[in-house]
Amino acid sequence: MNEKKRLPFGMGRLGTKWWVLVGVSLTLVTRGIIAYSQQASEGEVVTGMRDIGPMGGAAWGLYIVFVVYFVGISFTGICLASLIRLLNLKVLRPIVRPAEVMTVIALILGALAILADVGQPGRAFLMLLKYARPQSPFFGTFAMVISGYLFGSLVYLYLHGRPDAAVLAKRPGLLQRFHRWWAAGYGDTPPERARRVRSSFWLSVALLPLLITATSTLGFVFGLQGGRPGWFGSLQAPGFVVMAGLSGVGVLILIAAGLRQALGEKERLNLELFRWLADFLLVLLAGYLYFLVVEWLTNSYAAGPSESLVSQAILAGENAWIFWGSVAFLTLPAFLLLLQRLRGRVSLPLIVACGVMVNLAAIAKRFLIVVPSQTHGMLLPYSTGSYTPSLVEWEIVIGLVGLGGLLFALFVKGFPILELDRDYLGGTK
Amino acid sequence: MARYGMVIDLSRCHGCRACMVACKVENNTPKGSFWNYVFRFEEGVFPETRVSFLPRPCMHCDNAPCVKVCPVGSRHKTLEGLTLTDWDRCIGCRYCEVACPYGVNCFNWKDPKKNRYLDWSDPSLEGVELSHGMPYANPDLDLPQGSQGRHTAGGGRMKGVVEKCTFCVHRLEKGLLPACAANCPVGALVFGDLDDPESPPSQLLREKPHFRLLEGEGTEPRVYYVGGAPPTTASRQIEAVKARVER
Repeated sequence: MNEKKRLPFGMGRLGTKWWVLVGVSLTLVTRGIIAYSQQASEGEVVTGMRDIGPMGGAAWGLYIVFVVYFVGISFTGICLASLIRLLNLKVLRPIVRPAEVMTVIALILGALAILADVGQPGRAFLMLLKYARPQSPFFGTFAMVISGYLFGSLVYLYLHGRPDAAVLAKRPGLLQRFHRWWAAGYGDTPPERARRVRSSFWLSVALLPLLITATSTLGFVFGLQGGRPGWFGSLQAPGFVVMAGLSGVGVLILIAAGLRQALGEKERLNLELFRWLADFLLVLLAGYLYFLVVEWLTNSYAAGPSESLVSQAILAGENAWIFWGSVAFLTLPAFLLLLQRLRGRVSLPLIVACGVMVNLAAIAKRFLIVVPSQTHGMLLPYSTGSYTPSLVEWEIVIGLVGLGGLLFALFVKGFPILELDRDYLGGTK
Repeated sequence: MARYGMVIDLSRCHGCRACMVACKVENNTPKGSFWNYVFRFEEGVFPETRVSFLPRPCMHCDNAPCVKVCPVGSRHKTLEGLTLTDWDRCIGCRYCEVACPYGVNCFNWKDPKKNRYLDWSDPSLEGVELSHGMPYANPDLDLPQGSQGRHTAGGGRMKGVVEKCTFCVHRLEKGLLPACAANCPVGALVFGDLDDPESPPSQLLREKPHFRLLEGEGTEPRVYYVGGAPPTTASRQIEAVKARVER
């Protein structure tokens, strides 16, 4: 019992706060499952989506918005983890493991959001295995993001977890079998360590371009379509990459702040680490605001009639509150973080608030990319369409977020969420 | 081998929408699905207004954006020039629908059997007998079509798949015209082999100036229009068909 208590970072100990988190997450997941079963039995008529054209709807809605959002978050997790390891950024080392876990969980959620969207989810597996076409921009999402990238991230998380697993595998207890399985004979001897470091270096080198390519292919899903005003454009792919970085750093800030609070890890997850994350956020915000200005200047200055109608709907029409809300949630954090930087201070609540704001802005921006181009500015003179997500869609999407929280909570109790120190329990790391 | 196409004579069309009805009856499409759609347009300011009509079947584009984006090859081109959907392979991602600039795709948002125009569980219909069970149930639609034997004909198959105009592929196999062309009371829809210079559509294209919808998109439609002009930004749709599907 004593041994068990000494497991690091609250592993194996289920406190009240943890149960609250699990309880809330489970409630959301259950609501999501009920909503999805309703959709599975009745069809997607339970959503707010409808056909483009005579039906005046949007064929893609909240599910696709969140596919893009989740994949974006996953991009940042593994990207930061790779960069931190490659550049040996010691201050940020503690968030490497949470970032890797975030990537894997976000990718699982992205894959589930795709399943929620397709009309024949069961058939999708079979048909994609049998008939997948690389010519389709969706191929990148299915094959590279969901399969290759998820596999690569899992291997990455597994490899880097092995030294910790090797240490914990020696500890008797309920989780010993799990840790022994994870270590799989790894003992962290110098030759083993050298091999692991070498393979993880090359995996990092391979993952980084794969990440950029994979997130870009998600941008291509929209950017290669000439038939939808507002989609076709070369800025879509890089814009997706930068926005992915923004939302991911935002979520990582929230996770790091949550862990700091829950585990009392004020030393490892110190303010210097948050200052780094805030700086990342600031640089990405500046980059994205630049994209935003360039995009809208081009759209309002020299757009064709259809593009103008979409721009109008976004800037001054029914979607204006979403657009201006997202602009506010991008400029305000940029301003606040810049001010903080200039004054040389670090305020954790402020950084957390900025993390929340950029994520709301990211979701809003994805909505504005996906929806208005389907309901406005039709190239044939159909009536203007509309789309409002239904309760079922919200419940499924929020259920996915709950599932993310649940998986994270379970991981934290089964494996060290922060990397163990070298001298932990005489371990050799 | 014939490579099919359609020429629509706008000077003859008077917007009766008989083609839309013929399509629905022939292909058993559920409520809210309009594979063929007839626009009724108005331009100008009263009293100087002009009304015009424009039937819009699927354009069966040679460079079809829907075919390009389909992740599983359900949407495909045939050697006869048709752009068809294999409903037995469609996964319901609706990428074809967002890629198509013409708005011709129809997703089955609910089980088509529960989305008929008439509620067949209505007790007042008890005792009504029909040759094929369900009304409108066209037995030809169940046959595999073309040399590849793919399931491409007819609509109302199952929930969660996309369907659209097939140029009545099952009728073409029998040497018949698509239902819309066969039922147009004024012969505005002229269908045939565009590779045959003597076919009625080819002759019409030789005789009259023509255009295709959204040619700038580079989709190379196989549907041509004669006897009118393409809609402009000044064209306002009037009497739009309320294509709705409710829970």
